[in-house]
Amino acid sequence: MASLTLKDITKVYPNTEAKKKKKKKKDAPEDPHKEKVNLQITDEGVVAVQKFNLEIADREFIVLVGPSGCGKSTTLRMVAGLEEISSGELYIGDRLVNEVAPKDRDIAMVFQSYALYPHMTVYENMAFSLKLRKLPKEEIDKKVREAAEILDITQYLDRKPKALSGGQRQRVAIGRAIVRQPQVLLMDEPLSNLDAKLRNQMRAEIIKLRQKIDTTFIYVTHDQTEAMTLGDRIVIMRDGFIQQIGTPQEVFNHPYNLFVAGFIGMPQMNFFPNCKLLLENGKYSVEVLGKKIPLCEAQQKALTAKGQKPCSVTMGIRPVHMTIDQGDFTGVIDVSEMMGSELHLHLSVGGTDIVAIVPTVGLDVAAHSIGKTVRFTFRPDLMHLFDTESELNLL
Amino acid sequence: MQKVNAGPSSAAPAQSLTARQRKTRRMWRHLRENHPFLVMVFPAVLIVFLFNYLPIYGVLIAFQDFMPGDQIIGPNTIWIGFYNFTRFFTDVQFWPLMKNTFLLCIIGFVIGFPLPIIISLMLNAMKSRRAAKVLQTIFNGPHFISLVVLVGMLNLFFGRYGLVNNIAASLGAERVSYSLEASAFRPMYILSSNWQDFGWSAIIYIAALSNVDPGQHEAAILDGATRFQRVIHVDLPAIMPMVSVMLIMSIGGLMGVGYEKALLMQSDGNLGVSELIATYVYKQGLTGVPNQGYATAIGLFNSIINVVLLIIANTTSKKFSENSLW
Repeated sequence: MASLTLKDITKVYPNTEAKKKKKKKKDAPEDPHKEKVNLQITDEGVVAVQKFNLEIADREFIVLVGPSGCGKSTTLRMVAGLEEISSGELYIGDRLVNEVAPKDRDIAMVFQSYALYPHMTVYENMAFSLKLRKLPKEEIDKKVREAAEILDITQYLDRKPKALSGGQRQRVAIGRAIVRQPQVLLMDEPLSNLDAKLRNQMRAEIIKLRQKIDTTFIYVTHDQTEAMTLGDRIVIMRDGFIQQIGTPQEVFNHPYNLFVAGFIGMPQMNFFPNCKLLLENGKYSVEVLGKKIPLCEAQQKALTAKGQKPCSVTMGIRPVHMTIDQGDFTGVIDVSEMMGSELHLHLSVGGTDIVAIVPTVGLDVAAHSIGKTVRFTFRPDLMHLFDTESELNLL
Repeated sequence: MQKVNAGPSSAAPAQSLTARQRKTRRMWRHLRENHPFLVMVFPAVLIVFLFNYLPIYGVLIAFQDFMPGDQIIGPNTIWIGFYNFTRFFTDVQFWPLMKNTFLLCIIGFVIGFPLPIIISLMLNAMKSRRAAKVLQTIFNGPHFISLVVLVGMLNLFFGRYGLVNNIAASLGAERVSYSLEASAFRPMYILSSNWQDFGWSAIIYIAALSNVDPGQHEAAILDGATRFQRVIHVDLPAIMPMVSVMLIMSIGGLMGVGYEKALLMQSDGNLGVSELIATYVYKQGLTGVPNQGYATAIGLFNSIINVVLLIIANTTSKKFSENSLW
């Protein structure tokens, strides 16, 4: 187990045609009003990870989460040593490991594709790294059996990977990683190849595993449920940049910007664009769909402390924080999804599509069918206000 | 209300069909559904039938006293049983031919079979993809040289006044006419064949290596495997099924060495080692006074050896690995 420090880590995949592009650019007159659409494509190449700064404590479970192409796997691979770090410093414990070979970093990795050696048995797969380190046979045997015991795969030790199910293979992949007792355990979307039921089961297994082994975890996923349930802290990434670092509760309750607010939470947060933040007689209020909503005391304080000026905002409210059949707002039900204990109502409100989660206990489900108009409201203290221009959370 | 059962009206006729009728119906349906694929495969089936199966009829002349112009089956056909075979077994040439063919094939196989595997593994392990591609193209080049040109090149390089002798002479050595030297025939034959084909034969292994999951290499790197260990523990096992199939096929064709190159390289000086079953068949069947029945018997004997070797190789492979042709 060890702490990790990632200082200004950047990864650039050099553009082979950089010179050509540069020349083209020189020849073409520059348009000052032209907006740069993709921050990741530069003259030097494709910037996969940009100025990544993170301190990971010893035995912490960190989850890197974000949409495809956000740089989370690249970051993990840089930690593993499978990708060269373009700039920045990576420390494992107190040791700078930028130039240290992967095998000497004392890390192990679990791959999405399991990456088990197909010609070896489960035992041989798990023992492979120990054999390469020339450990005595008895010690190898002891360690393999211990790891197999932890993961409950002792009965499969003589089988080859093709004779195992997806879940069993993933356990073996984890076993192969933990058998070395690495300082840091890296997991690159390890549950992505499993079906939904098995994924839930394996998620619970990983939580249990964490209690059993003392190591620092870095876990990459695009599934925000995995991120929320597994991580001590979550790092949300987008286009190579860190958007927010925080505990699951923090990122859920206090999203730093519009992207995080939309990414974390299932169903995602409802957004009402083109709202107005008003300041009248020293009191802030927000105008949503033509109705003025006064902000609560805590929100007033936060905005006053910032000296926030009236501006255009996007109001966000989570589906679970909405209440139906009361309030001043109305919406037409587009879709009604019965989930058993709750009903997901997809409402069309003045051209904006939103979702409300309603408990089914005591609810007249028939009265909430498609095409019906329902009234709804929400608690002002649970709403989020995002600056339309900067997309940052104002509260 | 959704209809869940077609009802007895449609089920009854199906039940009244016999098993044979049902099978026929299934076959027609299969043909109807797959006719585009069957049309596509038809030329290949036709070619195999015309050039591989139809000529099998010709093996009958191995059991006849056959002269060119005779009918294979006709009123004047003279059946002589296994006479052509016993004649070959008692021929003074039998053991020299067997030895020459076997040695040439086995040495060629021992050197030539692993070479493409080693080359493909080396090319795959190269860091520079571009360099690997350039090398692969260079290695493939000799495959496109015709046999006649290749033997011409051998004569140019190894002839009495060829490049090798010129260099040797400049260093004070005596000139040697390698094409007349019996001891030079096998090395020249085998090495030139391997030089010509190792790159081409490597393609199939390179293709198999391209399917290896990069994650396995990365896992091996993290496990602490060196580049060589990765080749041994990741790449080589990945191409083993292909190696097994190629091994079986190579063993199956072990004695099937062609006559062309040996004939082109043949000289009075090396005839003792360059006369193979194939060249003997050619000479018996197509030169001088043709003895096609005898030549066919020798060819058939050679083919039977190949079939036996193929069966042995396949059975052995099936027993000791999970790979086999059938």
